[in-house]
Amino acid sequence: MTENKIKLSKYLKPYILFAVLAPLTMIGEVTIDLTQPRIMSEIVDKGVMAKDLPLVWELGIKMLLLSFAGGIFGILAAFFSNYAAQCFGADIRRDAFGKVMSLSIEQTDKFTTGSLITRLTNDITMVQDFVSMLLRNFVRTPMMFIGGIIMAISLNVNFGLVLIVSLPIEIIAVLLIMRKARPLFTKVQTKLDRVNSVVQENVNGARVVKAYVSEEHEIERFDYANSELRETNLKVQTLIARLAPIMSLVLNATVIAVIYIGNVQVNNDLLQVGKIMAAVNYITQIMMSLMMLSMVFQHITRASASAQRIREILECEPVISSGGGCSRDTSGSVEFKKAVFRYPGTKGRPVLNGVDLSIKGGEYLAVLGATGSGKTSLVNLIPRFYDVNEGEVFVDSVNVKDYDINELRSKVAYVLQKSELFAGTVADNIRWGNDDATDEEVIHAAKIACADEFISEFAEGYNTYIDEKGSSISGGQKQRISIARAILRKPEIIIFDDSTSALDINTEAKLRMALREELKGTTIIMIAQRVASVMTADRIAIIDKGVIADCAPHAELLEKSEIYRDIYDSQLKGGVGLE
Amino acid sequence: MNKKLSREEEMKLLKRHEEARQANAPQVRPGPGGPGRRGPGPMMYKEKPKNMGVTVKKLIKYIGKSKYLVFALLFVMVLSSLAGLCAPALQGMAIDNISNGLGNARLIKILIALGSTYLLSASLTYFQAVYAAKLSQKTVYTMRRDLFEKISYLPIKFTDTHKHGDIMSRMTNDVENVSNTVSTTLGSLVSAVVTLIGTLSVMLYYSPLMTLVAMVSIPLTIFTTTMMSKLMRKYFVRQQRILGSLNSHVEEMVSGYKTVVAYGREEKSKARFEEINREFKHTAIRANFFGGIMGPLMNMIGNIGYLLVAAAGAYFVIKGDISLGVIQAFIIYTKQFTRPINEIGNQYSQIINAVAGAERVFEIMDTEPENAGELEALDSGKVKGNITFNNVHFAYKKEEPVLRGFSLEVKAGEKIAIVGKTGSGKTTIVNLLTRFYDIDSGEILLDGVDICKYSKSTLRKSIGIVLQDTVLFSDTIEANVKYGARNASDAEFDRALESANADVFVERLPEGKKTLLTESGQNLSQGQRQLLSIARAVLLDPKILILDEATSSVDTRTEMQIQSAMQRLMEGRTSLIIAHRLSTIRDADKIIVLADGKIAEYGNHDELLAKKGEYYTLYKTQFAGIKT
Repeated sequence: MTENKIKLSKYLKPYILFAVLAPLTMIGEVTIDLTQPRIMSEIVDKGVMAKDLPLVWELGIKMLLLSFAGGIFGILAAFFSNYAAQCFGADIRRDAFGKVMSLSIEQTDKFTTGSLITRLTNDITMVQDFVSMLLRNFVRTPMMFIGGIIMAISLNVNFGLVLIVSLPIEIIAVLLIMRKARPLFTKVQTKLDRVNSVVQENVNGARVVKAYVSEEHEIERFDYANSELRETNLKVQTLIARLAPIMSLVLNATVIAVIYIGNVQVNNDLLQVGKIMAAVNYITQIMMSLMMLSMVFQHITRASASAQRIREILECEPVISSGGGCSRDTSGSVEFKKAVFRYPGTKGRPVLNGVDLSIKGGEYLAVLGATGSGKTSLVNLIPRFYDVNEGEVFVDSVNVKDYDINELRSKVAYVLQKSELFAGTVADNIRWGNDDATDEEVIHAAKIACADEFISEFAEGYNTYIDEKGSSISGGQKQRISIARAILRKPEIIIFDDSTSALDINTEAKLRMALREELKGTTIIMIAQRVASVMTADRIAIIDKGVIADCAPHAELLEKSEIYRDIYDSQLKGGVGLE
Repeated sequence: MNKKLSREEEMKLLKRHEEARQANAPQVRPGPGGPGRRGPGPMMYKEKPKNMGVTVKKLIKYIGKSKYLVFALLFVMVLSSLAGLCAPALQGMAIDNISNGLGNARLIKILIALGSTYLLSASLTYFQAVYAAKLSQKTVYTMRRDLFEKISYLPIKFTDTHKHGDIMSRMTNDVENVSNTVSTTLGSLVSAVVTLIGTLSVMLYYSPLMTLVAMVSIPLTIFTTTMMSKLMRKYFVRQQRILGSLNSHVEEMVSGYKTVVAYGREEKSKARFEEINREFKHTAIRANFFGGIMGPLMNMIGNIGYLLVAAAGAYFVIKGDISLGVIQAFIIYTKQFTRPINEIGNQYSQIINAVAGAERVFEIMDTEPENAGELEALDSGKVKGNITFNNVHFAYKKEEPVLRGFSLEVKAGEKIAIVGKTGSGKTTIVNLLTRFYDIDSGEILLDGVDICKYSKSTLRKSIGIVLQDTVLFSDTIEANVKYGARNASDAEFDRALESANADVFVERLPEGKKTLLTESGQNLSQGQRQLLSIARAVLLDPKILILDEATSSVDTRTEMQIQSAMQRLMEGRTSLIIAHRLSTIRDADKIIVLADGKIAEYGNHDELLAKKGEYYTLYKTQFAGIKT
């Protein structure tokens, strides 16, 4: 438990001034709070009872001024504790998100999106609330607690003996309950992840849910996650609900014991009655502060569960680490040497099983292969989305692992199979390729990608706002915007991972022509399904069962590769004689 | 949509204002033009807080749904405060007993009574905590359930135009705020009200005149509270909204992480996050600061009240209007009177925050749901599959029509292929037939009946659809394929996999059909995911099958195999196929070439080739792989 706090406590350091000022100002407020009752009683005893109106006013103004000062202290304490806690939370959030952005793809896969969101918002809020609560009770509660004990003992040692019996019981009760509560709090957060994930899946897949009339099924699924969250929450809250009654019961038993012992001592003339009353008051004070302490403990437990989850992110080291090197060569050559790859955590045959392939700078290479044959996995290795398990991958004659990762990725533009657009305008999305691009460059890239033709038809043109996840435009349009984004990057190597699948034949042909013309000297790696898309390539690599079955130009492949011929025939037979 | 134009304009401005802060480039709402799926633009919510009273009323209605719990809680609370009053009295009796030396026997009796009171009080405290937890959990559970249900039945337009991360934030963070408040503040609120009423009546009994003096601080309290709540609300509402955009950013960046990485946008994304984070921090600091000063302020007001009572008391005593004893009692009651007010003041910010959260929840709840259209609940089993589009006009955005007088007749069992340029409206036809969106004019008939007359579930159940974007859920392969037909037998399941050609790779997976799909689906290739979604549609056994670019990521040999299997399947079914590969559509009964929102060409493969029109050109490009 403490381990977590040590880790995250470093985030409080920059705000240590505020973190210290908060309890200090709190001392001011508490002190004034304590003197106020005295003045109040003076007003009554010396003023009202003595029918002394001027004195009432005099003392009253004094009290008001004091309470005004106390209020200022209170406001300052609120400000300091809140400021420190919010900054603390914001810094953790910043670092945690920064960490997420530095992780490798397999790692973000492992945490789900829903869970990452919960951790970055809800969990951090828990820890932050705890800090703010701690700062505000830092002084008051222990002061009252320890002060109460000392005062009670100083009244009579026998009262102290009673407390020595009852206090350990209290502490054991708190510890026992918190130990049981801790895993439950973790569970609550996990259940919250689940709720988040179901919601996310549903808003993302709303079309499928509706098309399959599965709203009720999804509601049931959500209800399950929701009920579980509720049950777990209830469990932990019911557990914690025991704390207050147990504590007050033990302390109240102490009160009874004190009265009884007091009675015996009074009877033996060892004690005045007034001291019993005082002792009872102090015990009440101890009880109040213990209640506060148990609240703090509850927060600690809850926060430590959350802190653990935040630490899981902060402590996660990226699997793929930057090499730090670069290459003078900028031709854009790529070479795979006996590359073996399997997805992390999967068993069985590797997806890539010894790939040897050399792509010259400026070459136009097409990759063809059956569904699941490893095409995407192959190109994923180039910008190091994943690392090979065995073998090597070279870009510009340097092993990709030796590159500074940003250097490597700036050489490569990757157009994904599933085009991902982000909140912003069309122009913003294209500028992902290069923030500094001029409008002309953006339009030029869009023209090459055959995207200008539809973008310029939008009333708002390039300033058209893209709806959530690009739902406002068609699949083919999304793909072309993604392609423009890649082109704008002016990379050495451009990878099209089956990213023209939603384009119609005409557009695709036009795009291919434009690419050849405009991207001379750029290495093009194009994964495609259509023979027409690949036959004009310099070479076509046929990938089969994780190895390169053949790699040659169209005409040659037609002669020697049976797989290629099969594909060719299947797509284009019947067209013969059309000329 | 036209009548909403002015409101849309207003929202546009708001949106612009918001975006301008967030990005450098001028941002505008969705433009016109390109067909495909297009919503009428984001439905932005105003930042300006709405009527707080309305939200509170709704919130109370929610809490009130668990009537018995509320009553039980109130009952326990009242008992608990009574026990709380008894204990000090008994304590006093015990002390008096000692000081007056009334004997041990009596003292023990008193102590036993005191002990039982404590026991009772402790158990009441326990039940109070448990009931409060139950009530808050139940309220929040119901709220989440209703919100989710609501979202499920909202038109597609809603999820198309709202940030998914923001929806999630409402579901978790905003609802959570309500939960915290219900469990912690409700108790003290109730006991505060009880104490207030109690002391007020005692005060009135003693002296109405002095009560009036004591009440002078009340207008001051009300004034301060109103002022402060305005300030707090502004910031709390903003805080929750920014939390929503923070969520959205995380959601967007994590779900599009591959692109982020591929384009080296990590730093940019971090910078953007940092920007929202900072804004969040500033707003939260302000909101909580105003929340934090409520307590001291209330304390000061309480002291002013106390002073007034003391001064007035002294004055009246001097004048001889009131006895000393009354004043003394009165002063004690005034202190008791201000205590609950202070308590409420301390928790006020939490209440305001909860209301801000609830407001965002109710915003969604108040959105118009999808029209169920249950005029004629026709049985989907009886649907034959005749589809007629009659002079259909449709625009996602008024001034940019996508379909302009589209007419088409498909007989049951026909296989129709739809081809056309990207953005020519192919997917729109699917959107309209499934009523994801409703047409502007014209009519769409299913078996001669307007589709609006079917219940949406009947309509959609008779249509099997495979979408362009493969959506699979993080569940087993089996559960995903059985998505539309959960009662399907294993044999049916196997057959569906087989006809989608998915059986081979599923068998090869170490855990077969029980394999869990991960969120990003890294364990399956895109093509394999498409095969699964085809199997899902096949298992549904629909009368109408729509394949919208269903095999775009599948290699052509696999596709051929699917086709031969589907050939059998499609018999007796109406199928609409949207595809770019001519090999996929060659065997269709009819091919429709879509252009300018209308049918440009129409006929079977051979007829269209003979025509030497648009289709001919398309076909030639595919064959020759060169531009026309």
